[in-house]
Amino acid sequence: MATTTYLSNLSALTVNSVSLVDQCTGIVFTQLRESLDKTTLADTGRTYTGGLYNNECTMTLFQSYAASETYQTLAALVGTRTTVVATVIEGAVTKVFTLADCYLESMPVINGALGELSTVDLSFTGGALSVS
Amino acid sequence: MKYIINSPKVGTVGDEFEPAQGINIEALIAGGFIVEESTDKPKKSPTIKKEPKE
Repeated sequence: MATTTYLSNLSALTVNSVSLVDQCTGIVFTQLRESLDKTTLADTGRTYTGGLYNNECTMTLFQSYAASETYQTLAALVGTRTTVVATVIEGAVTKVFTLADCYLESMPVINGALGELSTVDLSFTGGALSVS
Repeated sequence: MKYIINSPKVGTVGDEFEPAQGINIEALIAGGFIVEESTDKPKKSPTIKKEPKE
């Protein structure tokens, strides 16, 4: 059986059209459809059907308060909807994952510890996930 | 109204920014990533007629 592996380097990452790939240390795109229990007394075990989609994108970024960097990009997005686009290239295959109209509920504005580079963990929820 | 890119994080500075679906324009403007450019032509100042000679 043929398998393929790739180094998990993103070639591009934009949040609200702003490139943040140079600040990102980790990202997870999750396609999620909520399960609805449709079990009846006729069943011998739980059975489910698909409900609403509730896609999610979580990422870790280095914090930077410099112009055009992490804080300046995200501060005005808290409590609003935006679009996140991540591009992955594996050999000749390019996949562009777009989570459109996703909601950013919160952003840590300070996350510091002794002897560490400051990072922020973000979660964009909802919206429509498309792959091209 | 059109938008001009003001940060290399968004694209080539000076190019027109065409927002894709779901892009939060207000946040980009607030962060200084793009600037608004009015496409309205400036109105001419009204000409002041001279008073007729008596």
